[in-house]
Amino acid sequence: MTSPFALQKCSVNEMNLLTANHSSYPRIGSTPEEQALRRAITRRDQGRGTDSDVLAAEDCLALLALQDQQNAGLDLVTDGMIRWHDPVSHLAGRLEGPRTGDLLRYFDTNFYFRRPVTNSKLARTNPLVLDEFRWAAQRSAQSVKTVLTGPLTLARLSLLEDPAANPDVLVMSYAEALSAEIGDLAAAGAGAIQIDEPWIAKHSFDLPLALQAWSLIAAYKGNAKLWLATFFGDAAPLYARLQESPFDVLAFDFTYSPNLLHVIEADGSAKPLGLGLIDGRNTKLEDTSMVARQVERVMAHVASSHCYLTTSCGLEYLPRDRARQKLNHLTAIKNSFLGVQQ
Amino acid sequence: MSRSKLRELGLDLPLLPTTSVGSLPKPPYLLKARSDFAQRKIQIEELKDAERRATSFWIRRQEELGLDVLVDGEMYRGDMVAYFADRLSGFEQGGLVRSYGNRYYHKPIIVDEIGWKGPITVEWWRYAQGLTSKPVKGMLTGPYTIMDWSFNERYASRRDACLALAQEVRREVEALVAAGCKVIQIDEPAVSVRPEELNLAVEAMEITTRGLKAYFLTHICYGDFESIYPGMLDLAVDNFDLEMSNSGLDMLRVFSKRPFTSDISYGVVDVHTHVIENAAAVEQRLRRGLELLPIENVWVDPDCGLKTRTVEEAETKLETVVAAARAVRNS
Repeated sequence: MTSPFALQKCSVNEMNLLTANHSSYPRIGSTPEEQALRRAITRRDQGRGTDSDVLAAEDCLALLALQDQQNAGLDLVTDGMIRWHDPVSHLAGRLEGPRTGDLLRYFDTNFYFRRPVTNSKLARTNPLVLDEFRWAAQRSAQSVKTVLTGPLTLARLSLLEDPAANPDVLVMSYAEALSAEIGDLAAAGAGAIQIDEPWIAKHSFDLPLALQAWSLIAAYKGNAKLWLATFFGDAAPLYARLQESPFDVLAFDFTYSPNLLHVIEADGSAKPLGLGLIDGRNTKLEDTSMVARQVERVMAHVASSHCYLTTSCGLEYLPRDRARQKLNHLTAIKNSFLGVQQ
Repeated sequence: MSRSKLRELGLDLPLLPTTSVGSLPKPPYLLKARSDFAQRKIQIEELKDAERRATSFWIRRQEELGLDVLVDGEMYRGDMVAYFADRLSGFEQGGLVRSYGNRYYHKPIIVDEIGWKGPITVEWWRYAQGLTSKPVKGMLTGPYTIMDWSFNERYASRRDACLALAQEVRREVEALVAAGCKVIQIDEPAVSVRPEELNLAVEAMEITTRGLKAYFLTHICYGDFESIYPGMLDLAVDNFDLEMSNSGLDMLRVFSKRPFTSDISYGVVDVHTHVIENAAAVEQRLRRGLELLPIENVWVDPDCGLKTRTVEEAETKLETVVAAARAVRNS
């Protein structure tokens, strides 16, 4: 079968499988140390603590997240997005323009975000996550991937103050704001920047606009590898066009995409893939050898010398002990795959 | 049609009946008792005393505020899924996961075949109903939401887990009906987030309520209603309890295109803000709804459960609900 995106395919034996944390990580657990952030926020809100106490607790939990990833033997880590109130307001709230709106569910999760209310004019007057990247990079032995919610998702989850305004303009406004952030992240040495775009997985009609917005931000990536992560929806119908997007790495949620394996086998991949074969939203651990075989099937059709094994989405939707198990499982599957290779 | 059903059940409610969605804030002494019990400083009976005291308080306060259909306030619950999962067989308690901001809940894990072991809410319903002559709602979480808000390690599919739950939740509904409960709310807040699974939720609700003699409500909130409307009207209930004010009455735009054909519990105050809304503004929200909805089909309540507010905030918000309904009734 012809693989249009895998013209210079490597043999499986030459390929390297790396493990990567997808994005978020639980900011609470069962031990007193793991509950420090919740307590600090509660105390501050009750007037018994300060913002500095909360910042210190965030540092503590972010450090624990880095340690869990290091202990699991991951190759690429994140700061766990411990400081994020939610995937939308953490960024929109730091831009000039949006104000905090009503509470909505984040896609099909039981997790909620504050919807930004805005007009089409946004301005990035201060860095968004640059300090968070620097903090994590200084403390991590592994490479750190920085995560940003993408312009399409941010815009579509925002409410325009003027109902007559063109919502597509807001997508490009967010893209401009994120471009500046990506430029600064790249200049600060960020090697991997992931753009989370769950919206596109269920709204493929937005792809032409998304490609415009992504092209804009990709122009600022410098030496960083730019990742696209889609999740909470089936990416198979979008796969071919995403191969033509300006991203360096494409990460997919396979739990929503029963046909994605077949699509990749048929079309191949010119880019490294993030293989979200481990369910980030269910506690059940996948069969190690079965996933290793799925990895092998995919990697036989990838032109790049490496791929990343990851979870289907961020791990914040799991209890901490189960999230930790999933991280360890990534390494176990990687080892199983390497065994298969040999 | 549902008015006649209410009358058949012996319920004579005024125009624009007022109610509360379900949860009410736990008074400080109950919060302390729950914390003490968790730390094994007190025995279960001491905790139950505090829960009964708080339930009595809220029944009395709802009567004083002039609500027409009361709730027990869920003083005995932590959250709406774990409470049931803890009392059905087949579940294991999961660790904490975040719902939003700094709020977390224990998300259950389905590890074995689900089974109803005996009445879960009947004792509390009987206790609350025994304190008042006004009807008290039986309060359950629906099968779709319990499935969606649990991890599943046992069943082959979401559908299998949901339909198994529907059979067992029905047994709790039957127990409530047998105890004399005439108004039963089956909360399904998760229904609005996966439009592709609406038919599954409809099938599950049909299993849960089919042929049972009670007036059924369901509460749905914080999702994309537009994507499940009007299909959601196929859920086998008499009344849809919807958060209207949180989204700036957006749903009215949807109703203007496709009429809302069921009874509705129309949320007029936002439960996620400390701000107490201006009474005139709340009345105006209700009047805007009545431009589209037949008045005899409308109940009035807050957007959602009030458990995240303080006791005083919840009282004032309920007072505002009652005032808005009365103002419209009397005009």
